[in-house]
Formats: sequence, structure tokens, C-alpha cells
Amino acid sequence: MRAPREGTLSFCPRAAAVIAAALAALAPLCAECQITPEQASQLRDATGDRVEALTILGGDYGIAGASFRSTGKFSFGESADASIAVTKLGGSGDIGDPQPLGSLAVGWQPRVQGNMGALDGTQTLHSSLVEGDVTEIRTYGIEFGGGARFWVTDRLSFAPTVMGLYGRSSESYTANSAFMRANLDKARELGLVDWEADTWTVITGVDIEYVMRWDRTIVSLSSLPVYYRTETFQSSNTHVNIRGDSGSWSNTIDVDIPLGMQFYGHELRSGGYYRWIGFYGDLKDGFQRSNLNEIHGRVALDFLNQLWKVQWIGIGASYLWGPNITGWSAGLDVVFRF
Amino acid sequence: MIVAARARVCSRCPLFVWVLTPVLMLAGCWTAPVATVQPQGEPRLIQGAVALEPVKTLAVVSAVDVSSGTIALRTEGSADIATYKVGPEVSGLNDLKPGDVVQATLVQALDVYLLRDGQLPGAVGALAVDARVLRVDPSYRLLKLQYPDGRTDTFKVALGTRLEQMAPGDSVVIRPVAVLAMRRKS
Repeated sequence: MRAPREGTLSFCPRAAAVIAAALAALAPLCAECQITPEQASQLRDATGDRVEALTILGGDYGIAGASFRSTGKFSFGESADASIAVTKLGGSGDIGDPQPLGSLAVGWQPRVQGNMGALDGTQTLHSSLVEGDVTEIRTYGIEFGGGARFWVTDRLSFAPTVMGLYGRSSESYTANSAFMRANLDKARELGLVDWEADTWTVITGVDIEYVMRWDRTIVSLSSLPVYYRTETFQSSNTHVNIRGDSGSWSNTIDVDIPLGMQFYGHELRSGGYYRWIGFYGDLKDGFQRSNLNEIHGRVALDFLNQLWKVQWIGIGASYLWGPNITGWSAGLDVVFRF
Repeated sequence: MIVAARARVCSRCPLFVWVLTPVLMLAGCWTAPVATVQPQGEPRLIQGAVALEPVKTLAVVSAVDVSSGTIALRTEGSADIATYKVGPEVSGLNDLKPGDVVQATLVQALDVYLLRDGQLPGAVGALAVDARVLRVDPSYRLLKLQYPDGRTDTFKVALGTRLEQMAPGDSVVIRPVAVLAMRRKS
């Protein structure tokens, strides 16, 4: 079990783009302040994707938090001028040693996963109509679940899990532009700004892991396809209604190297991982990115069997990159073993 | 209805199928660790006096010998009594009497053998084996032992221990070394 991870993320996805597009759509209709059903439907979908993506980003442990910088332009001509801070505390772990599964030559052990996360983002809009307006979004998420890890060989295992994620998102809008000051009530009515939404997400995945040992070094290969089903159960506006399917697929190679030297009775270890995460469905639409790469390095002290349930305590840092995006994160690296 | 639902899931998540199929095909190769197996190799002393990280445990005082600076303890969960050298940092030895319960920080060492039929070639009689190796983790220097009554204990061994030569089934003699700290429990 690994915890905590902390970072800030500022790849402002669709947040401003949706609002800017909506308001741009309103512009020619301003006299009547009307919007076509097609536009309303598109906006609802886009807002739903956005809330779904941010809820998963803020509440699910599997998606990394970091400090990102976008180098590209988003749809609707929006440029990046935003920051989102994501703080997470959570992890996953297998409990105890594998036990025989009945008379089968398969070992199993219970697995638990959980996470608490908060996302706090601010974006200044740069579009002719809404220049200087500020939109802020906050998301809190808590998830918990579990499953079992099944060992089919001494090296190969797979762990199907089911988790539940509760998310609460809210958006507030500061209208500085003349256009938006005149149309703020209409935008609220459409659910484009100043909304709140409570969501639940069911998360299922299978963590497939292959462990190799070379001398004292441990090399782990893992693949984790995840499916997310998100729905709203309460919102401040009927237009903010999320019902979507998402997916992610992360593939990781992790190396854990004991260095053979001790500090204060604890052996120094080093290591790191490379991870590729693909986004699918609404998650891809909400982030407007199809994948993310992460390379992580760490230095830690071995506490296994020396401090209750702690495997190591150290520090780690990551560099992340993807289409039109780069980023980094750093923080405490603590791993528990139960 | 069920067939249609399955088809829909598979078409949406083909990765599950592709990844799980080879995994399931490999099923059936896992075996639970067993301490009673006969390890491979020539009978020998693999390593003697393997240093362990000190362990903190409850123990019952059996005897105290102030003049020689030793104390006999029966540790929690064990039927055997072992005699330890009392370290210079331990005080209050005069106040202890048999039957007292103490929280003790103990230093122990292991002799790890590969035996054939419980014996070393050339040795007289059988070794008094305390436990057998159940699992070896060279990376984190962990040795999991199983006692004759089925209990298990995991020890962290010192750097330089020849864990790569140890395997499940090896025989272990636990040697009491010293008491580093001790506090009487009420």
C-alpha cells in the first residue's frame, strides 16, 4: 500500500472551453438570450464529461496528481491559463501472505484500496467575450473498495477489484467581462456556472502483475485496465447531470533496488518506475488527452519488519508528459505492507 | 439477454480478454510454501551466528544470576527457556525474581543448516532444531521461520547474510545472545 501522494495539476482541460463555447453561442442570441436544444445538449455532455473527469482525477488514486504545464491550445481556441492543485492520500495493498484457494493450485490474499482527494482549480478565461472572467472548481472525492489477488504462479498474479467513489464538485464564476455580467443569470440557469453536483462512481479493474527478482533487485511489470461508471445523484441544476462511462489503462515497470548501505539501522533503497496511462471514453473527452507518461524516481529507507506495517519511507519525484503537456510532482513516498 | 450483455462488454473492453486469457491459461502453477520439504544440496552449516535485528517481546523470568550477569527467560508463545547475557545498559537486575513478567529487547542469532534426516554428516547425534525456514526474501533480508507447533515468525537478518543459499526446509537453531533493554510489567 502506498501513500500519500501529493501534487498540483494545472492542465486545465475543458473547463474554460465549455464555458467560453457556451457563451460564444449565446452571443448572437443575446437579445433573446436563448440557446438551441442542440447547443444545450452539447453543453450538457461537455459539462458532464468535465465533472466526471475531474471527479476521477481528484478522487481516484490510480490517476496521478502533478504540476502540469500545457503547451498547446484547447478546443474553441482557448489557451492555457489555469492551475489545478490535486492532493491525494491513499493507496492499495494486499493483506498477509497468499493462502491456498481451496484445493486449487492458486494462492489468494485479500486486497484493499482507498483514497481521499481534493482538487482545487482556478482558470482565468481568455476569450473575446469573457476576457478576464475567472472560474473556480473544487472537487472532493473519497473512494474505498477491495477485492482479492490471485497468484497463479510464484511470479504472476491478478487482482480484480471493485471500488466506490463519492465525489462532490462545485463551480463558482466571477464575471468581470461586460458580456458575462449581463448574462450571468442566464448562464446560471443553463447550469454553465455556479453549480454543484454530487456523484457516485463505480470503479472496476484488474491489476495484473509479474514479479521478477535479479539478485536482490525486484522488477515488477503491471498492467491495470480500469472501467469507471459515473452518475449524478444530486445537483444544483438539472442541466448538470452526469452519466458516463470512462476507462483508463496503465502499464508500469517498477524497479526496487537495495543499495547495501545502512543509515540509522535502515538499508537505503532506490528505484523508480515508468508508467503509461491511456484514457478512454469520457475521461479522454474530459481531459482532452488520450494518454500520459510518467517516470518516477525515489530514494527510501527500508523499514520492513522494523516499523509496524511500513515497508519503506522515502522521497520521490515524477516527470510527466503527454500530448501537449508536461508536468512534475514530488512528495513523500511511503509504502505499507499488511 | 446474457449473451448480448457479454458481447457488449467484450467489444468495449477487449483488453480484459487479451490480458486475462494468457493469465488464466497459466493457472495452476502456484504452490504454498512448505517448511517440511527436504532442501536440495549437500548437508552442511549454511551460516552460523546470523545476526538478527533486536526484537522486543514479553517474557517470563525463570532465573537470574547477578554474578554472571545472565538471565533465563521464557519468551511469549515459547515453551523453551533460554539464557541471555544481560547488557551493561540494563539496570535493576537485583530486583527481578522468577515469575516476573518483563518487556525485553532481545538479541538472538541463528545457525542455519541444511540437514539430511535431521543430521549433519560426521556429527554426533541429532541437532536440536528450533524451527525450519518457510520463506526467504533476500531483497528485504527477511527470513520466515516455522516452529514445530505451526507458529511462524519473520526475522530481519543482517546485511551480508547468505540468504541466496537458504531455502524452505532448512533447519534453524536459535541462539540467545543478549538482553539490550528490559522493563518489568506490572
